[in-house]
Amino acid sequence: MAMTSVTRQENRAGWAFIMPALVLLGLFMVYPILWSLWMSLQTGKGMNLHFGGFANIIRLTKDPVFQHALSNTLIFLVVQVPIMIVLALLFAVALNNPRLKGRAILRTAIFLPCVTSLVAYSVLFKSMFAVDGVVNDTLMFLHIIRQPIGWMIDPFWAKVLIILAITWRWTGYNMVFYLAALQNIDPSIYEAARIDGVPPRARFFRLTIPMLKPVILFTTVLSTIGTLQLFDEVNTITASAGVGGAPADATLTLSLYIYNLTFRFMPTYGYAATVSWLIVIMVGILSWIQFQVAKER
Amino acid sequence: MSKTLAWLSSLLIQGALWLAAFISVFPFYWMIAGATNTANDITGGKISFGSHLIENITKFFTLVDAPRVFANSFFVAITGTVLTLIVTSLAGYGFEIFRSRTRDRIFGGLLFLLSVPFAALMIPLFVMFSKAGLANTFAAVLLPGIAAIFMIFYFRQSTRAFPHELRDAARIDGLKEWQIFAYIYVPVMRSTYAAAMIIVFMTNWNAYLWPLIVLQTNEMKTITLVVASLASAYTPDYGLIMVANVLATLPTILVFFLLQRRFVEGMLGGVK
Amino acid sequence: MKHFTFSWRKGLLAAAGIQLLTATMALATEVTVWCWAPEFNGAAMNEAIARYTASHPDVKITVVDFAKGDLEQKLQTQLASGQTEGLPDIVLIEDYGAQKYLLSFPGAFEPLTDKIDYSQFADYKVALATVDGQTYSLPFDSGASGLFYRSDLLAEAGYDAAALQDVTWDQIIEIGKAVKAKTGKPLFSIDQNDAGAIRIMMQSAGSWYFNPDGSVHIKDNPVFKAALTTWVKMLQTPDLYKQVSGWGDYTGAFNNGDVAAVFTGVWMTGGIKNNNMPGKWAVAPTPKLDGVDGATHYSNLGGSSWYVLSSAPSKDAAIDFLKTIWAGDVDFYQKILVGQGAFSSYLPARNGPAYSATDDYFGGQAVWANFSDWQAKIPGVNYGIFTNEADAAVVTQLPGLVAGGDIDAAIEAIDAQVAAQIQ
Repeated sequence: MAMTSVTRQENRAGWAFIMPALVLLGLFMVYPILWSLWMSLQTGKGMNLHFGGFANIIRLTKDPVFQHALSNTLIFLVVQVPIMIVLALLFAVALNNPRLKGRAILRTAIFLPCVTSLVAYSVLFKSMFAVDGVVNDTLMFLHIIRQPIGWMIDPFWAKVLIILAITWRWTGYNMVFYLAALQNIDPSIYEAARIDGVPPRARFFRLTIPMLKPVILFTTVLSTIGTLQLFDEVNTITASAGVGGAPADATLTLSLYIYNLTFRFMPTYGYAATVSWLIVIMVGILSWIQFQVAKER
Repeated sequence: MSKTLAWLSSLLIQGALWLAAFISVFPFYWMIAGATNTANDITGGKISFGSHLIENITKFFTLVDAPRVFANSFFVAITGTVLTLIVTSLAGYGFEIFRSRTRDRIFGGLLFLLSVPFAALMIPLFVMFSKAGLANTFAAVLLPGIAAIFMIFYFRQSTRAFPHELRDAARIDGLKEWQIFAYIYVPVMRSTYAAAMIIVFMTNWNAYLWPLIVLQTNEMKTITLVVASLASAYTPDYGLIMVANVLATLPTILVFFLLQRRFVEGMLGGVK
Repeated sequence: MKHFTFSWRKGLLAAAGIQLLTATMALATEVTVWCWAPEFNGAAMNEAIARYTASHPDVKITVVDFAKGDLEQKLQTQLASGQTEGLPDIVLIEDYGAQKYLLSFPGAFEPLTDKIDYSQFADYKVALATVDGQTYSLPFDSGASGLFYRSDLLAEAGYDAAALQDVTWDQIIEIGKAVKAKTGKPLFSIDQNDAGAIRIMMQSAGSWYFNPDGSVHIKDNPVFKAALTTWVKMLQTPDLYKQVSGWGDYTGAFNNGDVAAVFTGVWMTGGIKNNNMPGKWAVAPTPKLDGVDGATHYSNLGGSSWYVLSSAPSKDAAIDFLKTIWAGDVDFYQKILVGQGAFSSYLPARNGPAYSATDDYFGGQAVWANFSDWQAKIPGVNYGIFTNEADAAVVTQLPGLVAGGDIDAAIEAIDAQVAAQIQ
């Protein structure tokens, strides 16, 4: 979209429209963010704080728990985001077919998971994935597994469970964005490609994907942010005795570590703030890469 | 041959979609079935309906001051939704219609704000509200969430579908900018609003971490907080918790179904 | 759209009503209490309130309950913010966390040393809430530990009550194998993420992750090594236990009759009595660590105490309430013992009738009298301020150890992780 020159009056109107949001964001986001930046330079326990300079950054490099949390978070990011985006895209393309029967029901059903509340969702997943819960029962009945899987006991399966849970909750949500974008594509383009004898697979890769690129970028960036901040699921579903990130910290994420440093352990707010800033920097770098990749293609 | 193949692949796609739909919906069934069972049935993986529904419901209504709790939740969710829709749609409209280099830069900066984890902001936010004497008020629950960045993105994106001709015509008719927004944009974009409403209502209704911090008395608790407390018993009563879950999920599902038709149009950026 | 506006107005009205109600109640002295587990701590507190307000009608005491983690999060946020408005007058804190709060937020809690006669409470409970000679808590429920077992299933495997009075953890492994062979049921349900067993074992021999001065005591701590070795050995015996995850799963296993025993704190008694197997349960002393100096059959798991916030506006009323009921009403303690199974650390309470009563649910055993005896002998330890950090470090090493990892290397790693966490 070309940048149109605005008159002075329009410029004033522009500010007026965005002002309520800017004031709220300034008060309730920018100010606390600056506070946490300042905190990241402080060390000490509880409220007995003193200026520590880069002490917290040095501590990061020596902290095995932090490194563990970082690698877990990156594993979730690398595995979960692509799975969810691809699934959402495939569902959207399939549901976009006007000849498909039961489209409305399918679309609603697949979207439904994201309306559940976190509290309900965690109780549901915990009880369904218990050792003798309904999921293991079903898998054993179907002879897919012989022994019940320790979903919340085995470090590997716990990661799988978290990935399943997030995918369950958010795939339909992302799908709706793709569906919307797909329906805005002029069908005659497909018709022309079909008549030219372009096979369905090529149509998907050469037409659909490029046209959805902005939406894919948008959802990928948001999902990346969501996964780097992953907290809810690992604090509730894979929590044991009130402690998230179980088993053996296999699902400990950076956000959960921040939470532990702030609320569960002896409070070290300065260090917690430093870890938060690391997330911010990672989001910055990853979003930049994603934008670059999208630009090149 | 190719016809059989096409038929087969379409069958496969159908199957995969129905399986996905089943997996998506099953936990809801599990929750409803659980509401009729005892705690031991639920941890034991019983998937059929039981006969303890009345008992579980009675327990819920004896333990929980349901009218108060639901009134709180509805107040928070509805006020939050209305304010969020107003503020974010104004901003989205402003960013898109009146583009300037400075405002575009600010818009780019919003992505940065989105990347700060909330856990890092809770303590400074709490200090602010507490100093302002707003701890334990719904204002404190609502204010930080009103300028939802994601919704600003969404409204800006949707505004691209708002026909220029309408705005130009309105200007020629002498309407002021706010009048164009209120009398033309809002009615024209009502599907967009409906879609946003579902998402915002859902977010506000389900809000947990922040309300937990700022709300302090029983009179102010929302249903989400109550469910969390019930789930924390030394020996959790899952039948009771499932009843609470069903009741806590029902409003968001109702809102979704009521607005569903508009939701699809809204997400499609449709202009009606 | 019309429908929407309508319900919105109604919501607004309801909220306005709420504000009005709260405004008119501010006349009497109001005391607010925060706690978790409404069916246990909340119910006991409400009983105390009913007793107190009967003679003090001008005081209104309200209980607000949260999930335990949520309560800690709220408390920590408020204390960190330095804003006292909105804090309760009385708050329940788990004993393991007591020192953490007392030391990181100096001045936040009110010392009660001059107001409460602490000689009437179990020593170890008083010690853990004492900093620099000042005691801050009103000690509440005990976490005295014991081995609850299904007497019918253990009898089937050839073990009667007498055979379980003086056993070691190593013997427990053998008993577990026998029970599994005879009854097909494992002895325990075990959640590997819960370090409770290590804590029970350590305290039973008077040791902890930390020295009394707060320094780390992991690397050269023979008790810790023995506890970890024993626990790993138990985890390496699949016949001994059913793997579970999370609290519901864990309690479900013995409440459903899937497993034959559970070693835990006395506060579980109420839960066990709720599972409808009268006459089939009994309690034995906690098993002992093998080959450790000072090992006993007495230990503790959990337990919590009430604290008064020094910023509380109704502080005096709160203290008077705690003093009158919680440090003076023997009859009250009988009531909550019977009602909630809340076993107190208030020593005079044990002279009351409920504490000496036998219980048919436990085959006529005088359960409470047993716990009273055991409680008196629990070795006192200083939990320090980093127990959560140490637990997390231990739990991280467990999967590797169970798979056959080297115990000394694991202890090194635990020590290193704790050292990195507590700076």
